Amino acid sequence: MGSIGTLLSWGSDGWLDEIAYGVFVTVSLAVATLPLGLLIGFFVALAKQSSEASVRMAGNIYTTIFRGLPELVTLFLVYYGAQIGIQAVIRTVQPGATVDVNSFISGMVALGVVFSAYVSEVFLSAFRAIPRGQYEGGYAIGLTKGQTMRLVVLPQLIRIALPGLANLWLILLKETALVSAIGLNDILRWSGIAARVEREPFLFYSFAALMYLCLTIISSFGINKIERAVGPQEPAR
Amino acid sequence: MLKIGTEGAYPPFNNLTADGQLVGFDIDIANALCAEMKVTCEFVTQDWDGIIPALQAGKFDAIIASMSITPERAEKVDFTQKYYNTPSALAGPKDSPLTGVTKADLAGKTIGVATSTTHFNYASQTYTDSTIKGYPTSQEFLLDLSNGRLDAVEDDISVLEEWLKTPDGACCKLLGQPSPQPDEIFGQGAGIAVRKGETDLVNKLNAAIKAIRANGKYKEINDKYFSFDVYGSEN
Repeated sequence: MGSIGTLLSWGSDGWLDEIAYGVFVTVSLAVATLPLGLLIGFFVALAKQSSEASVRMAGNIYTTIFRGLPELVTLFLVYYGAQIGIQAVIRTVQPGATVDVNSFISGMVALGVVFSAYVSEVFLSAFRAIPRGQYEGGYAIGLTKGQTMRLVVLPQLIRIALPGLANLWLILLKETALVSAIGLNDILRWSGIAARVEREPFLFYSFAALMYLCLTIISSFGINKIERAVGPQEPAR
Repeated sequence: MLKIGTEGAYPPFNNLTADGQLVGFDIDIANALCAEMKVTCEFVTQDWDGIIPALQAGKFDAIIASMSITPERAEKVDFTQKYYNTPSALAGPKDSPLTGVTKADLAGKTIGVATSTTHFNYASQTYTDSTIKGYPTSQEFLLDLSNGRLDAVEDDISVLEEWLKTPDGACCKLLGQPSPQPDEIFGQGAGIAVRKGETDLVNKLNAAIKAIRANGKYKEINDKYFSFDVYGSEN
């Protein structure tokens, strides 16, 4: 059993390199999930305010399911369920074949769909904050539906949705800790192993907490930057 | 090529080290079995909670991770014979007034045990007059024991002995082994789990376990880690 310095050193005596790899896994998973979640969330939000009743209902069912299921259950369903399902299908064609569903992709999909369900609600409230007149103004100067969305609505939408989305991003960053259950070695899994092997739980879990805190602080800086960029300039009326 | 799943956080049986190596009794036994069966083996580490689903989903072919053979688990997977069977024991603070580990001795006391383990099943059935506190892993209740929140903890004797050697464990001592330890609860020890119906693999592994017991390889590995015989009674 070494000193704190040795335990947290880089290289073969310390766990810093392992935990750093965990930070890398956590960050890359969160970063990979973000665009997926935002994209799905945006379209679900569009669906939920569609004029077509069946599309609205599909959107509502989607959010009800993925906000309702515990994240861990969703994760297990995607990781184990998908593997067993895909394998069963492939084995009807080619018996004895094995499929390996990648745990990173599973984590991304599971966290992505849960994230998107929450994102859709944030977008929905942002959509409702944009007055009808903005669309009508867009159409009146001859913009198409797509152009109105892209040039008139979206910039305002992002500004209004940003605080809510920033919240969800921070939650996502911490929720990635669940993936240790499907064999991905993230911050928490490595800290947990180190804590149990070295029997220094306080040290390693505190260190993990510090890592998450650092990621959150770095995110806050990033979010502030974006907030300033999309700016306070309210369009002149 | 055989893929072997293990947990990687259960010293001294299977754990990852600071330089990323997988070491421990389970690992050495697995390597000896693979050498005996003349197959190449590859280890996959996986968190305990998802280890049986991962086996069933085909992430690996066998679990060698100190998994106790229980009827509950045997409904989901097939087991080989045991490859070791260490008894369950209780530990408590050094100044503990407890003189024994019977139900009466522990009445009114708080006992820490890891849930989803045989020790938990035993404690909750045996110590009905005590408060049983469940924890996710042994790490947490050992921490609580050294913090003085528990009167006793129950776990495998090898795990407790190992912990008592550490600075954190200096607070505490072994209180004793509960007796009798019925097979219906503790099972027949730790076995190797494979997917249901893979009888061929089970037979090969059983033959390999017998072979390394007979040729002295098992004893060599046993003595590297333990001062006592972890195999338990012959059967």
